[in-house]
Amino acid sequence: MARTFLLRQPTPMPGWGLSFGVMALMLSVIVALPLSVLLWRGFIDFGAGAMWEVVNRPRVWSALGLSFRAAFVASLFNLVFGVLLAWVLVRYRFPGKRIIDAMIDLPFALPTAVAGIALTAIYAPNGVFGSAIQSTFGIRVAYTEWGIWIALIFVGLPFVVRTVQPVIEEIDRETEEASATLGASRLRTLVRIVLPMLAPGALTGFALALARSVGEYGSVIFIAGNLPNVTEIAPLLIVIRLEEFDYDGAVAIAIAMLTISFTLLLAINLIQIWSRRRMGAV
Amino acid sequence: MTHIPHNRWRPATTEPALVRWALIVLCLAMLAILLVAPLMVVFDEALRRGWAFALASLSEPDAQAAIRLTLLVAALTVPLNAVFGIAAAWAVTKFDWRGKAWVITLIDLPFSISPVVAGLLFVLMFGANSALGAWLVAQGFPIVFAVPGIVLATLFITFPFVARELIPVMLEQGRAEEEAALTLGASGWRTFLTVTLPNIRWALLYGVLLCNARAMGEFGAVAVVSGKIRGQTTTMPLMIEMFYNEYLSVAAFTMAGVLALLAFVTLTLKTALEWRYADQLAASHRH
Amino acid sequence: MNIDIEEIAKQFGTTAALHPVSLAIPSGTLVALLGPSGSGKTTLLRILGGLEFPSTGRVLFDGADATGLTVQDRRAGFVFQSYALFRHMNVFENIAYGLRARPSKTRPPGAEISRRVNKLLDLIRLPDIGARFPSQLSGGQRQRVALARALAIEPRMLLLDEPFGALDAKVRKELRQGLRDIHDATGLTTVFVTHDQEEAMELADLVVVMSGSGSGGRIEQIGKPEDIRARPNSDFVREFISA
Repeated sequence: MARTFLLRQPTPMPGWGLSFGVMALMLSVIVALPLSVLLWRGFIDFGAGAMWEVVNRPRVWSALGLSFRAAFVASLFNLVFGVLLAWVLVRYRFPGKRIIDAMIDLPFALPTAVAGIALTAIYAPNGVFGSAIQSTFGIRVAYTEWGIWIALIFVGLPFVVRTVQPVIEEIDRETEEASATLGASRLRTLVRIVLPMLAPGALTGFALALARSVGEYGSVIFIAGNLPNVTEIAPLLIVIRLEEFDYDGAVAIAIAMLTISFTLLLAINLIQIWSRRRMGAV
Repeated sequence: MTHIPHNRWRPATTEPALVRWALIVLCLAMLAILLVAPLMVVFDEALRRGWAFALASLSEPDAQAAIRLTLLVAALTVPLNAVFGIAAAWAVTKFDWRGKAWVITLIDLPFSISPVVAGLLFVLMFGANSALGAWLVAQGFPIVFAVPGIVLATLFITFPFVARELIPVMLEQGRAEEEAALTLGASGWRTFLTVTLPNIRWALLYGVLLCNARAMGEFGAVAVVSGKIRGQTTTMPLMIEMFYNEYLSVAAFTMAGVLALLAFVTLTLKTALEWRYADQLAASHRH
Repeated sequence: MNIDIEEIAKQFGTTAALHPVSLAIPSGTLVALLGPSGSGKTTLLRILGGLEFPSTGRVLFDGADATGLTVQDRRAGFVFQSYALFRHMNVFENIAYGLRARPSKTRPPGAEISRRVNKLLDLIRLPDIGARFPSQLSGGQRQRVALARALAIEPRMLLLDEPFGALDAKVRKELRQGLRDIHDATGLTTVFVTHDQEEAMELADLVVVMSGSGSGGRIEQIGKPEDIRARPNSDFVREFISA
C-alpha cells in the first residue's frame, strides 16, 4: 500500500490519508499532469528533432536571447541595488524607514498589466521620464530593450532585498569588529567579510528574480514595442504561435525556455550548495 | 607626548555619517523613480479628465463584467489554494515520508514557470485540438476560452502561495502541541481546529492575502486561456489591455487604479500582519 | 606596553555601564577583569580595544593618549567571546587576514606572510589545520585559531573577552595553561575578562574585581591573587571569590 511505502515511521498523528490525498490530487491535476502533457506533446508527439527545427530559427533565437539577456541584466542590477537597499534598511536609521520597507513589496502586489501601462506612460517619448531621458541622453527607453530592462527591474526588485535582509540581521557584529581590530578599514571589512557572508542569500534572490523575469509577460509587452527580432520576448512569441494555432511551435519554444531556465537554476543551486558547504552549516 | 584628537575615533561596525546619508538618499531616490513614480502615474492618468469621467468608465457593462469575473475567479481559486496549502503543509510537516523534498520542489515549480507557459499547459490539455478538450466542448462544457480555464490557469500560477507560507511556520512549531492534544483525547479534527489552526491563522491569512493579490492581478496565464471575449472571459487585467489598445486611456488607467488600490490594501494588511504577528509568521518575514 | 586607564566612564543612552574607573597596568602583566555580568568588565575591555568610546576619561598607552585612536590604528590583539572567526575563510586565511589588510608599504610579501602564519600555527600547536574551515574545528581549536589571528598583527597588547567561556571544563584547563605559555613567550601585556574567580586567580598576575550596580560597574579591588584571597577589602569581594 502507498501508505506503508511512503511512511517512514508510524505515527499517532491523524489526517495522513486526507491531507496527503488532497495534496496529491491537486498537485497532480494542477501541476504535474499539465506539465506532463506539455512534455508529451513536445517529445513524443512532435519529437525532439522537429522541436529543434522550430527553435533553431533567427526569430526564435533572438526572442530567447532577448528574454534571457534582459532578465540577466535586470537581475544583475537588482542584485547590486537589492544588497545595498537591504543594508540601508537593516543597518541605518532614518525617518519613514518602516514605510519604505513595506513599499519594497509593491511589485509583488501590483498586477503586472498595471505596472506595464504605468511604466509605458512614464517612459514613452511624451512621458515624464521618457522625454527627459531622450532630451538629456538621447536614449529612447520605451519600445526599445531599455524599456524591457526597466520593466524587469521593477518586477524583480523585491527578491534580493527580501532574501538578504534576514541574513544581514543575523550577522554577528563581533565578526565585523574582529576585522577592524586586525587593522582592516571599513571598506575592506565590507568587501572581504560582509559581502561574502551575504553572497549565498543574494545569489538565491538573484536566481528567484531571474526565474521571474525570464518568463515575465504582462509588464513587458506594453513597453517593449514587440518588434520581431528586436524587442520581441520569448513569452510573446509563444502567444503569437498560439494565436496562429501553431501549437507545436508554441510547445517547442516553451520547452526551450523551461530547459534553459532549469539549467540556469540548477547551476545557481550547485553554486549555493558549494558555498554553503565551504562555510559550514547554519 | 603626542596628543591624538578624540574625533578620529568612530564605531567599528558602521560607515561614516556622510556615506550613510549618501546611501540613504541614493536608495530613496531610486525607489521614488522605480516604485513611487509608476504608482503616481496610474492615478494621474486615471483622473486626467476628472473623477466623474473616470468613474463613468468603470460603470460600463464590459468593465462591470470584468470586475465580476475577477471577483469570481478569486473567490474560486483562493479557497481552493487555501485548502491545498493546509493539506500540503499538514502532510509535509506532521509526517516523515520519502519523496518529501521532491513534492516540495513540485509545489514551488509554478514560481519558476512563465505565466504564458502556464496558460499554454491548459490550452494543450483542454483546448479544442486535444481529444479531451474536443469531447468536453461536445458536452457543452468548454474549458479553454471559458471561465474554467481561467480558474485553472490562475490556480496554477498562485499554487505555491499558501503552502509556502504555512510549511516553514508549521515546521518551526513542531508536533508537540498536536501530540499533547491527542494524548488528552481530542479527535483529529478537534486537534486541528483548536490547536493547529489558532497557531497558523496569521500565516494562513498572510498567504491568502498574497494569493488573492496574484489571483486578481494575473495577466499572462489568463490572457492565453481566456480567448478575451468581451463581457464573458475578460478579467480586469485583460480589460486594462483592451482599453489601452483601443486608446481609451482614462478607462484603462481607472481600471488599473482600482487594481493599484487593491495592491495598496494588500500591502497595508500584509505590513500590519508583519508588525503585529511577527512571531507567528515565517522567519523570513520578520523585520 | 604600559596601559593607564584614567577615570574612564561609559553611558549607553541613559544607562550607565561603567562608573569612572582608574587602573594602571604595568607592561607585560597578565590581568584578569573579574566580575559578575553587568559589572562593566567587557565594556572596559572594549574601550581598551577601541570598540567603544568612553563617555569621559582617557586611556594612555605608554603614557601617550590613545583615547581617540581608531580600532585599526590601535593594534590591539582582540579575541572575541564568540571567536568571530571568518567562516568563509580557512584557518590560514583567517590568520593572514590582518597582515594582508596592511597598506602595501608595510605589508609583508606573500612568502613572509605564510612563514609567519605557519609559525603561529606551530605556536598554538595546531600545525596542520591551515586548510580547514572554522566549521570543521572543535571549540578549543577555534579559540586557539582566534588567538593566533590576534597575534599575527604583532599587537601591542592582547585583549580577550571570556576566552574560555564557551568551552567544557577539561579543554578549559588545557587552554588556560596555553594562554599562560603564550603570554610568557610573547611578553605582551594581556587583559582578559572572566566571571570565573578560579580562572582569574589561577591564571592572572593581577586581578581586578569589579561589581555592578544601578550607577554602572565599578572596581572593587585590585591586587595579586594571593593578596585578594588573603585580604578581601569588602563583603562583595569576599563573597564573590568564595563562590
